[in-house]
Amino acid sequence: MSKTFQAIVVGAGPAGSSAALTVARAGLDVALVERGSFPGEKNMFGGVLHRLPSLEEIFPDFWDRAPLERHIMKKGVTFMTGDSSFNTIIEAGNFDKPPYNGYTIFRPRFDNWLAQEAVKAGATLITSATVDELVYKNGKLAGVTLVGRQGELLAPVVIAADGVLSFIAKKAGLRQPTFDPGQMAVGVKALIDMPREMIDDRFGLVREQGFANEFVGCTAGVRGGGFLYTNYDSLSIGLVFHLASLRTSGKTPYDLLNEFMEQPQVAKMVRGGRLQEYSAHVIPEGGYNMIPELTGDGILVTGDAAALCNATGVNLEGINLASHSGVLAGKAVIEAHKANDFSKRGLETFRKLMNDSFVIKDLKTCRKAPHMLHNDRIYNEYPELVCSLMESIYRIEGMPKENMTKLFLKVAKKKVGLANLAADAFSAWRSL
Amino acid sequence: MNIDEIFDHTSFTIDREPHIVLDNQVCVGCDNRGCTNSCPAHCYTWSEADQKMTFVYDGCLECGTCYVVCHRNAFTLWRYPRGGYGVAYRMT
Ligand SMILES: Cc1cc2nc3c(=O)[nH]c(=O)nc-3n(C[C@H](O)[C@H](O)[C@H](O)COP(=O)(O)OP(=O)(O)OC[C@H]3O[C@@H](n4cnc5c(N)ncnc54)[C@H](O)[C@@H]3O)c2cc1C
Ligand code: SF4
Ligand code: SF4
Repeated sequence: MSKTFQAIVVGAGPAGSSAALTVARAGLDVALVERGSFPGEKNMFGGVLHRLPSLEEIFPDFWDRAPLERHIMKKGVTFMTGDSSFNTIIEAGNFDKPPYNGYTIFRPRFDNWLAQEAVKAGATLITSATVDELVYKNGKLAGVTLVGRQGELLAPVVIAADGVLSFIAKKAGLRQPTFDPGQMAVGVKALIDMPREMIDDRFGLVREQGFANEFVGCTAGVRGGGFLYTNYDSLSIGLVFHLASLRTSGKTPYDLLNEFMEQPQVAKMVRGGRLQEYSAHVIPEGGYNMIPELTGDGILVTGDAAALCNATGVNLEGINLASHSGVLAGKAVIEAHKANDFSKRGLETFRKLMNDSFVIKDLKTCRKAPHMLHNDRIYNEYPELVCSLMESIYRIEGMPKENMTKLFLKVAKKKVGLANLAADAFSAWRSL
Repeated sequence: MNIDEIFDHTSFTIDREPHIVLDNQVCVGCDNRGCTNSCPAHCYTWSEADQKMTFVYDGCLECGTCYVVCHRNAFTLWRYPRGGYGVAYRMT
């Protein structure tokens, strides 16, 4: 197969399908190439889908049409240590009214739906096709070759939306040739089947309400955290580890996931469920400093391929940034076609639109977060501090009470050290 | 979750052609072997007795961890499987 298009999008994840949709709506002939036998087959995430301003603009009825699970009205953070845990939960009335603040979704369904929307707009979806090489003609990027479904596709411009490892950006010389494990994390997840009524009763939910909980102190000293999200009739439960810490820990993701699910408080949440699927994927967590060149001659890089993930510790935002960057890349391609200039200069609109968008602005604002999240005390001492402080406050055994400030300082001194506490408070404040 | 039963939980269309080829000679002198514990699918096994690394790609989740973690670039090939092959998630 050899076919000519006006643009090629590599990867039908949220970034790629958003880009293809935008380009197709402008009447351009665009190929959307996906290595899975359908879009979403290869993709996993936590996960909570956050608001998508650019897609909401394209489809005003986006949230009525997309295949969603529950909306998140209840959010929690759990500090865990051994067999104790301390929870904070917010149940905000506003989280229970449209526009909702986030939904759980399944990637194989959501990604496929979004790709089909691009097809309806006129994009040509080519599945079971892994893009292998970039094709150059007369020194210019001219297309790509495929393996699986064999062949060659030609176009004057390529959008790399091939996810975190982006071999396309690498081949175009836009990303660093090797990754720093200090900027990467891996997530593992178990999808646990559970009857809908059991989930509603257990987590205090009614109607379509959902619960999202993050955990700290549950990774046996490896830098990372845990999550538990409710779908209609299943739970998504998993752990995320920083790779620099995991690789030297000697511990395995699946053993840690098992220990996490056996922790007494977590065991009560998953009891009665049945493991349905196990999945894993790497996350670019280096933030602003990890973003590669976004454009080159004949090429633009979007989504995870451009490391556009915002991991602040409380939320993990990726799909929203991917989709937004995809739409903006699509707009730049439309401009480039008008000017018939596909050089790096001709594609500069993308850089400009990105700099003005929440994607780059938020990553800039949070650029110190990755550094802060590499402080080992967050994963060991602080969860212990919170749990033992709360235990002391609630314990009533006929002993005279200590003043709260004194109690806090005593526990903090023992668990963290006061100098560390001051330093961490300072760096947390600076990174906000 | 027993990792040795990964095929009971996650579906794969295994390609005859490997997508990752490891030069396991490079692993012999490795000072870290972070791949053995970090791979979420337990594809890497080091035998201390034989001083040998065994790599099996059948249950590979295509997650990317080993590509990032290996600091000696022990791969003669690391790419995604040919279109249509490899891991196939249904619900995640
Ligand atoms: C454990 C975990 C939890 C997460 N939790 C959240 C969350 O709660 N909320 C959130 O918003 N984000 C979350 N994220 C991040 C989010 O999943 C990503 O940021 C998002 O998927 C990026 O979208 P993308 O389109 O750029 O890349 P991807 O979703 O990775 O899509 C890339 C696509 O390209 C295809 N592809 C790759 N190479 C080729 C090739 N050579 N040829 C053809 N096709 C190719 C792939 O098959 C895939 O379909 C999480 C990620 C992980 C791993
Ligand atoms: S880290 Fe690389 S070189 Fe070391 S054992 Fe693993 S694959 Fe081999
Ligand atoms: S890609 Fe992931 S699952 Fe596959 S071998 Fe590497 S670490 Fe293991």
